[in-house]
Amino acid sequence: MTGNIVSIAIGITGLGVAGALGMIGSSAMQGMSRQPEAISKIQTAMLIALAFVELVFLLTVFVVPGAAK
Amino acid sequence: MDLSSSILTPYVAAAAGGHHGPSYWGLLIYLIFTLVILFALMAIAKKDFGNRVFKNRWAQVFEQLYLFVENLCVGIIGPHGRKYVPMMMVFWMVIFVANCIALFFPTSPTADISFNLGIALVAIFYVQYEGIKANGFFGHFSHFAGPKLGGAMVLISAMIFLIELISEMMKNVSLTLRLYGNIDGGHRAVEAMNELGSGIFVPFGAFLLPIKVLTCVVQALIFILLNSVYISLVTHHDEEHGDHHGEEPHGEVAHAH
Repeated sequence: MTGNIVSIAIGITGLGVAGALGMIGSSAMQGMSRQPEAISKIQTAMLIALAFVELVFLLTVFVVPGAAK
Repeated sequence: MDLSSSILTPYVAAAAGGHHGPSYWGLLIYLIFTLVILFALMAIAKKDFGNRVFKNRWAQVFEQLYLFVENLCVGIIGPHGRKYVPMMMVFWMVIFVANCIALFFPTSPTADISFNLGIALVAIFYVQYEGIKANGFFGHFSHFAGPKLGGAMVLISAMIFLIELISEMMKNVSLTLRLYGNIDGGHRAVEAMNELGSGIFVPFGAFLLPIKVLTCVVQALIFILLNSVYISLVTHHDEEHGDHHGEEPHGEVAHAH
């Protein structure tokens, strides 16, 4: 039972995080193509955003198995 | 139910050695290995120190790395960011070399949560130290309370202070889990894919190695990137104290993560 809850939680989080990462990537690409001179700044901001979104998934992976017990 | 113990369960399990990684002595050997590689490369690079132009390949590599890190620090923290370059270089080199060890060996220091927790604690205490150095002890901690509100609004200030305090502590957890999850997750993915191809003797996991190389670079980069963002948060109020303290409540930082 716990295993099912964990799988479902990780699946839902994976879905959301994948969408968010795609959105960050696509908008960063658009910004870069619109203003190639701002590439380094956009990349920095993009990496920070990616890191925070990724953390949501990692937190789910680490916290849910403990909390579902 | 006791919430804190359930959230900390994976930490406790990892700290008690109930995980698949090496023991602390094994980890120490990997760490010494990392440092030996690092110091050997730096010793090679140091031979070129007297020359006007670096001809040694490793000296050039370290020069480029320095320029990259300096660029990043100055870009994020501002003109006074050059001070923090040495610490950032140390973080970058240790994390990158330790990540790269994971490409060739069964495990690495950064694939274990204890080493990551240690390095994240060093990073966070360094940030606090620099904040105290830049704003003074009381200046740094009154910084957590957000803008100055008079009268009954002191309660809100206290609340912001608590939230900021929790967010400072979570920075440590987030740095740890990000590095650990990415490196150890990569390991497990390779192992799972190797398992997949074991019937037909094809190491599918090897095809993941390019992504793992990318992860090695990006995780080391993100670690120092976030660290310099944290440093810029605690030290940037020197110059711009007057202009946007009013309209930009400091509690905003709390829900950024």
